Amino acid sequence: MSAPGAAAAGGGRSGTAADWGGFEDNMQGGGSAVIDMENMDDTSGSSFEDMGEMHQRMKEEEEEEEGEAGTAEEEDGEFLGMKGLRGQLGRQVADQMWQVGKRQASRAFSLYANIDILRPYFDVEPVQVRARLLESMIPVKMINFPQKIAGELYGPLMLVFTLVAILLHGMKTSDTIIREGTLMGTAIGTCFGYWLGVSSFIYFLAYLCNAQITMVQMLSLLGYGLFGHCITLFVTYNIHFHSLFYICWLGVGGLSTLRMVAVLVSRTVGHTQRLILCGTLAALHMLFLLYLHFAYHKVVEGILDTLEGPNMPPFQRVARDIPVVSNAVLNTTAKAIALTL
Amino acid sequence: MMQQQPYTGQIYQPTQTYTPTSAQSFYGSNFEDEPPLLEELGINFDHIWQKTLTVLHPLKVADGSIMNETDLAGPMVFCLAFGATLLLAGKIQFGYVYGISAIGCLGMFCLLNLMSMTGVSFGCVASVLGYCLLPMILLSTFAIVFSLQGMMGIILTAGIIGWCSFSASKIFISALAMEGQQLLVAYPCALLYGVFALISIF
Repeated sequence: MSAPGAAAAGGGRSGTAADWGGFEDNMQGGGSAVIDMENMDDTSGSSFEDMGEMHQRMKEEEEEEEGEAGTAEEEDGEFLGMKGLRGQLGRQVADQMWQVGKRQASRAFSLYANIDILRPYFDVEPVQVRARLLESMIPVKMINFPQKIAGELYGPLMLVFTLVAILLHGMKTSDTIIREGTLMGTAIGTCFGYWLGVSSFIYFLAYLCNAQITMVQMLSLLGYGLFGHCITLFVTYNIHFHSLFYICWLGVGGLSTLRMVAVLVSRTVGHTQRLILCGTLAALHMLFLLYLHFAYHKVVEGILDTLEGPNMPPFQRVARDIPVVSNAVLNTTAKAIALTL
Repeated sequence: MMQQQPYTGQIYQPTQTYTPTSAQSFYGSNFEDEPPLLEELGINFDHIWQKTLTVLHPLKVADGSIMNETDLAGPMVFCLAFGATLLLAGKIQFGYVYGISAIGCLGMFCLLNLMSMTGVSFGCVASVLGYCLLPMILLSTFAIVFSLQGMMGIILTAGIIGWCSFSASKIFISALAMEGQQLLVAYPCALLYGVFALISIF
């Protein structure tokens, strides 16, 4: 199609005959090719080639304009037409770029941020959640065949957020000051870091020890195990007795740890593997509760000691009575200290 | 001789000129034809008042269709009022209010999309959570005059958090048709409003 078009354009436009001279020579040299001009579309001024030419002329005009800055005031009709055309083209290009960009962004979003794959894990009833919360404190007796773990993420997620809220409350009541960061960031980082990090680590160990548990089940198990932590911390941040904390730590924390350990033991074969897996989980779980209590509770202790002694006298300097000892003992002691220094 | 096929392509047609959007077509219309400013902005005072009454009356049955239009003017006013009452108590925490409400809305949006059969838009979630912040403004107003750190403060705070989350969950389940899951929706709302209450108390 392009050869006849070029020949017709070469024949039709005498002004640009010099550009198309090569084609004319070829056509006359070859066989006869009668072209019916009536069937051709009128392409003058509106063809694709013309647009390309106009665009090229626009660019040249722009370069000329930049060169001669003084004569920018004069505007002839043709130059104004070019500006109008450039504005339209510019708007079209911008519009197209916006459409393409939007399409690509929505495609990427639907590919990577597709949270619909988590939908089945949030399909729960309130009765089920309550039952699972209570079950998480009751260790199972039968460890000979695999125990069922509910692969659900609503309960564990809510328990982690509850733990964040309890930690925040504890930090606020004890006036904890975090120098590097914020209270909210510290609480969220601690709780989510524990849940996701320890779950991943235990899942990795389970993979090494050939235990039959999936990642979602592990997340669910550890999440429900945080229920004991929530209860303990809620009680001990408000009632400050050290012995009460240790009783809760062993009792409530121990029960939830025993449940998790029993479920894992039922899904692992072999004594060494069971020992490694359950020992690690038990140690990490109990130590986390201890850490949460002491990291965010110490300040409260300090305040209580000074507040609970209204009859205590203010700090007094009293000279100590040094017992009378012989000079020899004193000298030997002084020399020994000097040698060690 | 080559038989010429009629060309049916678009290459010889001029490209479409850029048509202005409908908003620009108003330039030619009269001043009297323009809609009133509030209507153009989408602020409907009657609807705002209806939604406020729905929030304030916890036992009133919510109409699911009132949340179809996402109206952010009311929630914006409530957030600013909350920040203003905190300011009256000496706490300049507009940044915290903004940050926590943004993150909280995002979290609730993800959770509700995962839990409901039909999806929910972010504007709807932000609108509902913003309207249900109204009782929290009462709490922070109370905190200007009285301290909330005693036993009465704890009971009042718990009551207000319960009121806010109950209203929010009631509107959500009526708009998303999630019967039987009101407690499951109310608990995350209670956690979010609990954080706002923490800002009011301390």
